Amino acid sequence: MAENGELKLSGKAWVFGDDVPTDQIVATRYLFSPMSEAVQHVLENLRPEFPKSVMQGDIVVAGRHFGQSSGRARAPKTLQATGIGGVIAESFARTWLRNCFEIGLPILECPGISRMAKDGDVLTADLVAGTVFNKTRGTELRGTPCHPFLLNMLQTGGLIKLVKARGADWGRLE
Amino acid sequence: MNLVEKILAKASGKARVAPNDIVVAEVDTALLHDLSGRSSRQVFQEKVRGTMRHPERVVMVFDHIFSPPSEDKAEVLLENRKFCREYGMTLYDCGSGNIHNVALQHGHVRPGQIVVGSDSHTPVQGVMGCFAAALGNDSYAGTVMPHSQAWFRVPETIRVELNGTPRPGTTARDIALWLCATIGEGKANYTALKFCGSYIDSLEVWDRYLFTLMAVDVGAKCAYVEPDGKTEAFARAVGAEPFELVYDDAGTSYAAEWSWDISDIEPQICFPPTVGNVRPISELAGTPIQWAELGGHGGGRTFDIDAAAQVLAKARKHPEVNFNIVPGSRQVFSKAVASGNLSLLHEQGATWFPPSTGGNQAVNMGAMAAGEAMISTHVRNFPGRNGSPKAQMFLASSLSVAAAAVAGKIVDPREFM
Repeated sequence: MAENGELKLSGKAWVFGDDVPTDQIVATRYLFSPMSEAVQHVLENLRPEFPKSVMQGDIVVAGRHFGQSSGRARAPKTLQATGIGGVIAESFARTWLRNCFEIGLPILECPGISRMAKDGDVLTADLVAGTVFNKTRGTELRGTPCHPFLLNMLQTGGLIKLVKARGADWGRLE
Repeated sequence: MNLVEKILAKASGKARVAPNDIVVAEVDTALLHDLSGRSSRQVFQEKVRGTMRHPERVVMVFDHIFSPPSEDKAEVLLENRKFCREYGMTLYDCGSGNIHNVALQHGHVRPGQIVVGSDSHTPVQGVMGCFAAALGNDSYAGTVMPHSQAWFRVPETIRVELNGTPRPGTTARDIALWLCATIGEGKANYTALKFCGSYIDSLEVWDRYLFTLMAVDVGAKCAYVEPDGKTEAFARAVGAEPFELVYDDAGTSYAAEWSWDISDIEPQICFPPTVGNVRPISELAGTPIQWAELGGHGGGRTFDIDAAAQVLAKARKHPEVNFNIVPGSRQVFSKAVASGNLSLLHEQGATWFPPSTGGNQAVNMGAMAAGEAMISTHVRNFPGRNGSPKAQMFLASSLSVAAAAVAGKIVDPREFM
């Protein structure tokens, strides 16, 4: 988890399609529910077994434009609360991408991932190198490396922690 | 540099910026609605606290809840209200209108500014020749409220040129829906879209608005129209002053340049499950609907009310359809009173709702049961967003919504002109 500055993922893949909206990740009706309740419904419209069966460290794999629609940070926060290690997708909707770095949920943009990984494959990923390795199939892919400012935000545990640590100097770019 | 790059460079104290740079820029205006206002407030109160550098730059609009239907929603508004008063933020309470209409109408969006908003359709505000993008809750609580700053990755820019004269019955909304499908959902991910061409030039600000509005649906970070005489006149009329008119430098190059002639486009309709599914409306004619709603981000302007009045002047609402009208702002409602369209639409069977964002996400209205269908001027049609995941939401122009309300089914609006 990025909480400890760890930028490596290792877990079982859950594969989703293109254009998954935040409405399907957390429906509006659970937007104000306690996290303990909302987390039991995450992605349930698309994969009813997901909230029950997802394991600590699992990796959500998706197609293009994952996390489109509403920019509710509650959606990545709820997905994060399932204990997943991170999300690897062909591409992300930009508010989703932004929210993930800000809350400290590791994500990697990796064109080709939806063909490379099947449900249940064991994947490892290194966010600094931008690489994904499929241990089940023995294949490797190179994703889009993150900007150092964003990697630092992830390592710090998110934007709020970064601002707490640095105060008005939070935006300094090394 | 182009307009977006120039505004981001100036606001981050740099001489130049280029695509993929990350900058930390000073924010001029932040727009929050009641739902995201609550989420940002909670993060601020629980994790940030302290002072706000420019509370007057933070504008909150209660637009999803126009009158709390439950105790918990009343509590959300009460806590938001207290938060606004404690810090001196600008508050538009229930019944003010839709966040985007209210912000524009009350002069909170000035040309040349950095505008951020919690609603994902915030790029709409780029219609004023500003940089406008949506951020998440932690940005508001962590950097916008305490420091009046936000981080941005400088986007690549795509130039979208639209030329031609639309056919009768084809409105700006039809062309925006068509353009969304033609570009494709997520196909302009992370980019800035520049809208230009003789068709865009010919439109008033409130119609150009429908193009910057759809930018997020193709994945764009922001969108803009270079300011012209119409932008300037609009800014002065709503008191959006002082402002700075920013233009693309001569000879600016773009990541891509796309151009279309819109002269042959028929009225369009978007059907579930996502916003990229668009066809000429004639192909879906005959589909029964039980609900019609004029309102939300893509409707509720004076143009929309007038278009509906034109259709309903000739025929009463269908007995098996509920036709709900939601003005985008109090000004729109006042104009409907003055023009007589308020009573015309009422007498012909439509139901008026308070200025708000209407059935958007079905927070205060607009839920459907399984098997029901709605045609609306909203901007989203994902299953489950308006009640049952087994209900259907169709998105179309105000003319098409009013025509369907009369016909009881989806119909080519040109039959009602």
